[in-house]
Amino acid sequence: MTRYVVTHRTEYGYDDPVTASYGLAVLLPRQVPGRQRVDAQVVIDPAPVDQREHTDVYGNRALYFSVLRTHDRLVVTATSRVEVEPTSLVLDGPAWEDVRDALRTSLEPDVVDAVEFVLPSPLVAVSAAVAGYAAPSFPVGRPVVAGAIDLMHRINAEFHYEPGTTSVSTGLDEVLDLRSGVCQDFAHLFVGCVRSLGLAARYVSGYLETQPPPGQTKLQGADASHAWAGVLVPGHGWVDLDPTNDLVVDDRFVVTGWGRDYYDVTPLKGVIFTESTKSTLDVAVDVVRQ
Amino acid sequence: MLDAYRPPSGAYDEMLGPDRAPRRHWQSVLGSLESLGTSELERRRAETDRLLADDGVTYHRFAESDVGGLSEIVTIDTAERRRAAGDDRWRLDPVPLVLESTEWRHIEEGLIQRAELLDAVLTDLYGARQLVHRRVVPPELVFGHPGYLRPAHGVRLVGPHQLFTLAVDLARNPDGEWHVLADRTQAPSGAGYALENRTVTSRVFPSLYRDAQVHRLAPFFRTLRSSLQEVAPTGADDPRIVLLTPGPHSETAFEHGLLASTLGYPLVVGSDLVVRDGRVWLRALGRLEPVDVILRRLDAGWSDPLELRPDSELGVPGLVEACRQGRVSVVNTLGSGVLENPALMAFLPRLATTLLGEQLRLACVPTWWCGEPESLAHVLANLDRLVLKPIARPVGPGAVMGSGLSAAQLDDLRRRVTARPHEWVGQAELSLPCVPALTDEGLSPRRMVLRSFLVSRRGSYVAMTGGLARVADGPEAGRIIANQSGAWSKDTWILSSEPEVSTGFWLEEGPPLVGAAPEQSVSARAGENLFWLSRYAERAEDAVRLLRVVHDRRNEFQHAANPAGTACLTTLYQALTHVTTTYPGFVGGDIEHPTQELSSLVFDAYRPGSVAYAVHAVMASARTVRDQLSLDTWSVLAGLERDLAEGDRGGDRTAVVVPTLTAVLQRLLALAGLEAESLVRDAGWRFQDAGRRVERSIHLASLLRVTLTIERDTATDSLLLESVLTAAESIITYRRRYRSKARVATVLDLLLLDATNPRSIAYQLQRLTEAAASFPSSAVFGRLDEVQRLVLETSTALRVVDTATLAETAADGTRPALDDFLWHLVDRLMAIADAIDRLHFTHQLPQRKLA
Repeated sequence: MTRYVVTHRTEYGYDDPVTASYGLAVLLPRQVPGRQRVDAQVVIDPAPVDQREHTDVYGNRALYFSVLRTHDRLVVTATSRVEVEPTSLVLDGPAWEDVRDALRTSLEPDVVDAVEFVLPSPLVAVSAAVAGYAAPSFPVGRPVVAGAIDLMHRINAEFHYEPGTTSVSTGLDEVLDLRSGVCQDFAHLFVGCVRSLGLAARYVSGYLETQPPPGQTKLQGADASHAWAGVLVPGHGWVDLDPTNDLVVDDRFVVTGWGRDYYDVTPLKGVIFTESTKSTLDVAVDVVRQ
Repeated sequence: MLDAYRPPSGAYDEMLGPDRAPRRHWQSVLGSLESLGTSELERRRAETDRLLADDGVTYHRFAESDVGGLSEIVTIDTAERRRAAGDDRWRLDPVPLVLESTEWRHIEEGLIQRAELLDAVLTDLYGARQLVHRRVVPPELVFGHPGYLRPAHGVRLVGPHQLFTLAVDLARNPDGEWHVLADRTQAPSGAGYALENRTVTSRVFPSLYRDAQVHRLAPFFRTLRSSLQEVAPTGADDPRIVLLTPGPHSETAFEHGLLASTLGYPLVVGSDLVVRDGRVWLRALGRLEPVDVILRRLDAGWSDPLELRPDSELGVPGLVEACRQGRVSVVNTLGSGVLENPALMAFLPRLATTLLGEQLRLACVPTWWCGEPESLAHVLANLDRLVLKPIARPVGPGAVMGSGLSAAQLDDLRRRVTARPHEWVGQAELSLPCVPALTDEGLSPRRMVLRSFLVSRRGSYVAMTGGLARVADGPEAGRIIANQSGAWSKDTWILSSEPEVSTGFWLEEGPPLVGAAPEQSVSARAGENLFWLSRYAERAEDAVRLLRVVHDRRNEFQHAANPAGTACLTTLYQALTHVTTTYPGFVGGDIEHPTQELSSLVFDAYRPGSVAYAVHAVMASARTVRDQLSLDTWSVLAGLERDLAEGDRGGDRTAVVVPTLTAVLQRLLALAGLEAESLVRDAGWRFQDAGRRVERSIHLASLLRVTLTIERDTATDSLLLESVLTAAESIITYRRRYRSKARVATVLDLLLLDATNPRSIAYQLQRLTEAAASFPSSAVFGRLDEVQRLVLETSTALRVVDTATLAETAADGTRPALDDFLWHLVDRLMAIADAIDRLHFTHQLPQRKLA
C-alpha cells in the first residue's frame, strides 16, 4: 500500500469585481473499494454561502458551492490523504468480439450500465478516422486487454506530448492530424478508438506522484491533474491504462473520478456574474508520497 | 352545407359516417351551424379572429429552427416554415371537434394508464434502473437520448409520481381506432391554448355551447393548482409557486402569461430566481421571497448553466442542487424529457405487461426502433412507406416522410440510418382523420391531431375533459400538422350525458385559509417593466398631445399670412424635436415641408421618440409582465398596434396622421384608465404609477423650457401659451380661472405649482412622494433613502419658487431665471428616475463561465 498527500490549489483572479460565483468541483479523490481509501477536504476562499457534497451518477464526489458576496479572487484548495493498493492485471481475458457481444446481450447490471460508455459522448465523437486508427490493434480474436495495451503503445509511440497545441474542445480528428496533444487528448483518443469497436471505454481523471522516489523518472502530467482511460472487461471490471506514459495504471496513480469523457469529471467548472473579461488562473498540484 | 363537404376517401371523418350521414353526437352542432347559414358563419369566423387579436393571442413561429413545441410531425419543407414565419397570430377555427362522453371515457382510461406507465418508467430510469438492467428498455434508448440528464440522478419529487404532467397526441386510424402519435413530457404546452380556445369558441357560439352540454375545462386547472400545492417539498405548508418561462420570445409565451394569471402565480424568468442557502428565492421588490414549487416551461437542459447546458442564460445556477436537496420541486422534474423518445413506443406494450400487468389500452402508432437488427431490416425494407424520426427532437429537419422522397433521397436516408441505427425510429404513416373546418368554401374536411393533457393527482392522473385539436392548413396538407408550419387549432367538446354543474374555477376542497396574508410576489424585474410600461405609455401620450396641437396650429396658419401664427408654429415644430429628442428634425432640418417629418414622428416604429416606437416599447414591457395585466389591457394594446399599423399600410400615410392620433390617444386614455381604476395598489402598481409621474413631469418641464424661456411679441406668446396649455391638457381650467389673456406667470402657476391640477408638476411630485414612501426600503428608520431624498429636494425647490420672478424677462428677451430653474428641474427629475432604477431594480452583471 502506498500513501499520498494530494494538494490541488486553483486560484482565479479578476480585473473587475465578481458579484456571485457558483461552482461544481470534482476534485476530491473518490473511494474505490479494494483499491483506494481517501480522507479529503476542500477549502474555498472567500467563504461560500453554500458548500455541499453529493455523489454523482458515476459514484464520483461532486462538490457544489456558491460565493455570493463581491470578490475579485477565488481560491479552491483540495487536500486529500489517499491510500492506494497495488492492482493486478488479466492479460488473457475474453476476445474483444466476445466483449462487444456481451455489451449487446448481457444481463449483468454492470455490463448493461457500461453500454453508456460505448455510445458517443459530448467530447468523444467516433469518426471513420478514429475507427481506422483503432482497427490494427484489434485483429480477429485478440483478447480485449491485449488489444487495448497495443493501442496504448501505439498512441504513446506515434503521438507527441506537447502542451499548448490543443484545448478542451479539440476534436479527435484534429488530434489524429496533429499527432500531438496532452494527457486529456490521448485519453479521449483511446476512449474513442475503443468505442469504435463497440467496446466500453471510460475517461479517468486523477493524479500522478509529483517527485518520484530516487532513481525513478518523473512522469508526464505529474504537475497538474492527469487523465487516463479504462476499458471494460466483463467479469473482471475496468482495466485502466495511461497512454500518455504507456503504463498500466498502478499504485502511482490516484483516482479522482471517472465518466464518459472530460465533460463528466471537469475538476472545476462554474458560472460567475461579472463585467470582468480578463482573468488569471493559477493551478498548483502536489502529490507527495508519505 | 354538406354538399360540398367531401372527406378524402380512406380517411375517417369525425362528423360524417361512411354513409355520409352525420354521426349522432354531431347532429345538434351541425344543425345549429346549418341554421346559422353561410354568411353568418363567415361573420362568426371574423369574430373569432377579432377576439383572438383582442386577447393578444400569439404563437411565435420561427424561420429556421424547430424546437418542437406543438409540432407533431415536423415538416422538412423549410420554405413552408419561412412563409409562416413572422405571422404570430394564433389560429383558431371556431367549429369545435365534438366527441361523445362514452367514447371519451375509453380514451381517458387509456390516457391515465399511459401516464401511470410512463411515470413508472421515469421513476425507474432515475432510480433503480431495473428496466435497463433487464433490457426491457434498451440501454441505448436512455443513455443515448439528450433528454436523459445525468445530474438529475438524486432528484426525487415528494409524492407518488415523478411524472407530473403529460400531453399525448392522438389520432384515429381509418377504422376509427385511436392511436398515440407522440408523448410530450419535457414541458408540455397547449393546455393554456385549449383554455383560450374554449373562451373564444364559447363566445363566438354562445347558444350552441350552452345547449350542447359540454364538459368544462375549469376542473382540470383546479386540479393542476391543487396538485402543484401537493408536490411542494415537505414542510412547505403554504407553498409559493412560480411559473418559469424562457421569456417573451418563447414560441408559447402567450400561454405562459395566461396560465400564470389564470392560476395566480408569478411569471418569472431565470434571472428572477436565485439559489441561496440551498433553496430557491424570488428576487421580489425589496427582498428575497422563498419559492417552493416551479412550474417549468423552460426545457430542462437550459434550466441550470452550472450543471446542465453551460451556455444557457435562461436558467438559474444552482437549481439542480436545490432540487437534489429537496428544497424545491421543479415540475415537470428535470430529466423528464427522456420519455419523449419515440422509440419507447416500440417497447410500451411489453412495459405495460411488465410494470402494470395490463395490456396497453391505447395503441401506439406502429413503431420500429432501428437499434434492433430485425427492426432495422424492416425499416430499411419499407423506407418509402414509413415516417423516419430521430429519437431526439432535433433542431432542424425532424421527421421524414419516406413516401415523399426521391430514390436518391431515400438512398441518402438509408445511409444515415445505417450509420447510426440506434438514433432512428420508423413509424407507420397513419392516415389522419378529418374534421369540418370553416373555410372560404364553407365547411371543408381537414386532417386533425388531438392533444390531450393529464396531471398527477393523489396517486392517479386526471385528464382534461377536452383538449387541443390541431388541424392542417389546407385540403392537401394532412400528414404534417405542426403549429410551427401554420396549422390551425380547435376547441374540443366532450359532450356530457347530463347537464354539468358549473363550478367556479377557484372552488377548492379543504379548509379555508384563515388569516393568510395576500402574497405580494412581484419580481423586481416585473416592477421594472411596469415602471417602463407606464413611462412609455405616458411618453406616447405626451407626444400624441403635442402632435395634435401642432397639427391644429398648422391647419390654422400654414397658408395664412399671419406672422404670429407662423412664429408660433415654428417654435412648436422645434419644441416637438426637442422634447422627443428626434434631432436633427425641425431644429436642423426643413421647416418649410414638415409633412414627412410629422408622419414619421407618428409611424416610424424604428425611430426612438416616435409614437410608434413608444407603443412598441409599451408592448415589449407588457409582454414580460403578461401575468400582471388584465385581458382588457390586451384588447387596448392590440388596438393600439392595429391603429398604428392601419396608418402605415401602404398608401399616403400623411393623410391618416390626424385620425390615427385621435384613435391612439383614446386607447392611451383607456390604458391610463385601467391603470388608475383596475389595479390593486400593490408594490407593482406603485412603480407603474411612479413611472407615469416621472415621465409626465420630465416631458412638461422640457416643453415649458423650449417654449417659454424666450419672450416674443404678445400675439405669438399668446398663441404659444395657449398651445402649451392645450398640450398639457390644462387649457379649460386656465380659461376658467384666469379669464384675462394668457400670462407666463399664471401659466406657470397652473402647470408647475397647482397641486390640484393632475397635469401639474407639483401634482406629479406629490404622487412620487407617496410612491417613494411606499417603496420597499432598506434605509435605517428615520432616514430617507436616495429616492425619497431626491423627491423631497425637488418638491421643496418647486414649493419655494416664485413664478413672478421666473417670468421676468432680461434685456435680451430671455427669461434666464425660468431657463435655469427648468434646466435644474429636468435634471433632478431624471436623477429621481435613475435612483428608482438603481435602488429597486435588479441589475445582474453578465453571466460568464468560471475561467
